[in-house]
Amino acid sequence: MPLAPVLVTLLAPISAALILCFLKDAQQALVRRIAVAATALSLLGALQLIATYDVARAGYQHEVLVPWISGLGIGFHVGVDGISAVLALLHALCAFTGVLISYAIKERVREYYIFYLILIAGVFGVFLSLDLFFFYFFYEMAVIPMFPLIGIWGSDVKEKGAVRYSKEYATMKLTIYLTLGAVVALVGLLWLYVQSGANTFDIPALQRHFANTPLSPELQRWIFPLLAVGFGVIAPMWPLHSWSPIGHAAAPSAVSMLHAGVLMKLGSYAILRLAVGLLPDGAQYWMPWLASLVVMNILYGGFVAMSQRDLKLIIGYSSSSHMGYVLLGIACLTPLAVNGAVLLMFAHGLMTALAFAIVGQLYDQTHTRYLPDLGGLAHQAPFIAVCGVIAAMASSGLPGFANFVAELLVFLGGWDKYPVQTVCGVFGVVITAVYMLRVVRGTFFGPRKPAFNHVHDAGTLFDRLPYVVLILALLVAGSWPQPMLRLIDAGTRPLLQPFLGITP
Amino acid sequence: MNLALISVELVACAWILVMLAADLIVPADRAGGPAARGGEEMPRAAERAAGRRSSFWLWALAGVGLCAAMLMGQTQTGTFQDMFLADGFSRYFKGLFLLTTASVIVMTREFGGLSGEDRPGAKARAPLGAFYMLLFTALLGMLTLASINDLLMLFIGLELLTFSLYVMAAYLKTDAKAVEAGMKYLILGSVSTGFLVYGIALLYGFAGSTSFPVLRQALETGPVPLTAQAGMLFVLAGLGFKLAAVPFHMWVPDVYEGAPTPVVALLSVGSKMAGAVAILRVLYGPFMPLAGIWAPVLAALSAATMLYGNLAAIPQRNIKRLLGYSSIGHAGYLLMGLSTGTRAGAEAVGYYLLAYLFSNLTVFLVVVTASEAVGGDMLDDYKGLSKRSGGLAAALFIGLLSLAGVPPLAGFVGKLFVLLAATSAGQLWLVAIGAVNVAISLYYYLMVVKRMYLDAPTTAAPIRLHPSTAAALLLLILGVFAVGILQEPFLTAIATAFAS
Repeated sequence: MPLAPVLVTLLAPISAALILCFLKDAQQALVRRIAVAATALSLLGALQLIATYDVARAGYQHEVLVPWISGLGIGFHVGVDGISAVLALLHALCAFTGVLISYAIKERVREYYIFYLILIAGVFGVFLSLDLFFFYFFYEMAVIPMFPLIGIWGSDVKEKGAVRYSKEYATMKLTIYLTLGAVVALVGLLWLYVQSGANTFDIPALQRHFANTPLSPELQRWIFPLLAVGFGVIAPMWPLHSWSPIGHAAAPSAVSMLHAGVLMKLGSYAILRLAVGLLPDGAQYWMPWLASLVVMNILYGGFVAMSQRDLKLIIGYSSSSHMGYVLLGIACLTPLAVNGAVLLMFAHGLMTALAFAIVGQLYDQTHTRYLPDLGGLAHQAPFIAVCGVIAAMASSGLPGFANFVAELLVFLGGWDKYPVQTVCGVFGVVITAVYMLRVVRGTFFGPRKPAFNHVHDAGTLFDRLPYVVLILALLVAGSWPQPMLRLIDAGTRPLLQPFLGITP
Repeated sequence: MNLALISVELVACAWILVMLAADLIVPADRAGGPAARGGEEMPRAAERAAGRRSSFWLWALAGVGLCAAMLMGQTQTGTFQDMFLADGFSRYFKGLFLLTTASVIVMTREFGGLSGEDRPGAKARAPLGAFYMLLFTALLGMLTLASINDLLMLFIGLELLTFSLYVMAAYLKTDAKAVEAGMKYLILGSVSTGFLVYGIALLYGFAGSTSFPVLRQALETGPVPLTAQAGMLFVLAGLGFKLAAVPFHMWVPDVYEGAPTPVVALLSVGSKMAGAVAILRVLYGPFMPLAGIWAPVLAALSAATMLYGNLAAIPQRNIKRLLGYSSIGHAGYLLMGLSTGTRAGAEAVGYYLLAYLFSNLTVFLVVVTASEAVGGDMLDDYKGLSKRSGGLAAALFIGLLSLAGVPPLAGFVGKLFVLLAATSAGQLWLVAIGAVNVAISLYYYLMVVKRMYLDAPTTAAPIRLHPSTAAALLLLILGVFAVGILQEPFLTAIATAFAS
């Protein structure tokens, strides 16, 4: 089946990147159109995946399997379940809007889109792969383009006019951290493969194999932390998070959107899919530790976000704080909380992408992200200001947005399992409200500043499109969460099967 | 005597003579440096043109010879006089050696010191035909090493290769650094040859023969005295020198920095591959019964080699030195695969070498080409290269990332197979060190990328590529991607090669 929606979704950005390699630098308009077309195709593919996913049947669907290295049991196996379908949609939305936001990039446009499309394809690949080899393959493929993307088109993080983190430092730190995490996870994956004795890298096949002949709990306890910590780096799990806010802040806005919106979800997705899915006993053993660790994520990230003055750093620390909720939900290992965690990945991804798009739009014109310098921008850019307030409301978890539903589910699930950690976590919501309101006040409200009179709003329909798409998706998923939750449940239920009997 | 078995070697031999004679036949100004030419009446422009022409003819002639050797191929299998083994394994690696030599020939044209182009400050030009002759002797040595079935053949092949490289490393004889490189290589190389010969002697004393099958039988049956064990370790030490494994790596950085870059490419790819091939031959041949002794030794050396090579590469400022240390790091991965003592490990080494060949030759071809244009081999000379030549920068980017082991490039799959083989052999600690080294190596490779892509160039002059260089680069990059994405056909080829 040559036109399977999974393949369309995955191959559209790859082919577009290949085509761009053969174009000339001067053909900027064409380059941009190809990128938009490719991500639009991916978005359609992702929508198609969700529309035709049979919730009643659950499990993996839309599978395409091409044997690749038969001797080692490696196959190009792609497909989706409820979890990856939702995350693929999230990524498609962020990628599409990100490409639109990238119209702000003016120099070395062709190279930019090549790297950006490779990044997009890599992330799609991780979400859609059902084979450990290709999972890792695409994972690394997603990490490496970040290096030139941040290094070339990013910006230094400044404080009071002085450089606090240069973009070179930020991008190198990000790449090395993520690669180190990836190789740690790789050791775990190889160990898992060898010990399984099933001679296959195929994830569903491994799950079936482990259902009959599980690995010894002893061994699972050894392998689980390798996967959880390795992939936890990108999640980003405290105390391995320090690359993340700096990386967000230094990246160009469209890359920050993908980075905070989707790339971080690769970590939590990998933990859920591989560490929890393949090593249930290991998960059972280590999850209380993880739950305590992520409280640090939530509170520490929140407090640090409160004390920042750079808009992107605030959102960056806020992201690492909010990813704590996601990991807390996963740590519960109950359907309620895990469903909430997956929905939160979706909601938080859209919200952060929206926030970074807004900051990017403002930064391109004001050339500052330093909070004390900003203010009164609602006068010059009312539409952006409205979007900013919406993003802040979504981030604080107001009812009506998907974030609210998702956080509620995580807390409800967490209360049963880890009451202490959950109570601590709930305080994170208060902290979020504090810094988000401060950002909104400091950026948009207050007296009109004449220095920003040149700032123009997102005026045309085309300019507004990315914001509208993201806000619409947030509102739809928030006010009508049932279909999406059913979809997620179809993915998490088979995954959590081993825990349902054991959990109290 | 079935001469078809050694057809490739015969062509290489013939071409050694052809290239030696070519210096006499092809009209060239072999008079040497600018001082010698000062008194001549020929106008400098015409002289340069003549130099270019003659060097082109020599270059083409060398290319023809290599094509002839490639076309000869090795079609039959069998043993030649019991000393020389022609099987799938040797065919596979002979293909790789020929590919390496072809790339080195392309590089030689680009390298100013050898190509006959006068440049400001150019060194006295050495006769080019003889350089190609040495290239073919080195090739002959490598081809022989792929087919060894006797300790004497091992010695002959290794010395053919090494002696050619001694001379080639010091070929620019007015360049102090090159001479130092050649000298250093000669002295340290001689010491390692001493080890090798001593090892061979001890083994001969034990088994009464230098033939691999006889040796293997002797090691399998009888109790193995300490002298024979020491002999084996001495042989491995001699070969470790070719591989540039710690602690036999001391020559690498200086020789890499000083020798002409095409020679460095040959050292880095061809010579290292020859070392690995010879080790494969001896370990999985006569020394297999002693796996209990050499496996832990190689595993320990592997860890030390990876860590030393990659950590020492970090502070380097010269790209050739950096690649030297990086090649030490890669030797560590090769040792990791070898130390498993399993078929999977050997095949992983075969795949790793294939990946390493394409990636490293890509890198060296760019370095040779770029160093002429950017005016040096320092890392800072590469600042802003992407703005001067997008193609060269992209090629170096791809080559370096492949060396670091990033998918979808060749190096990733090579590393993965080696790590997988080591995991299967239960050496998890070694796998962990190898995995961490991926991240370490990525750091210094990215520092080069940073200069090319992030920094501003000092001049904006675009760099033009010669068609032969561009075509070779394109082919090598295609190879990097093909080996990285379509593993199955290569794996099948390797599996058949290692079946023997």
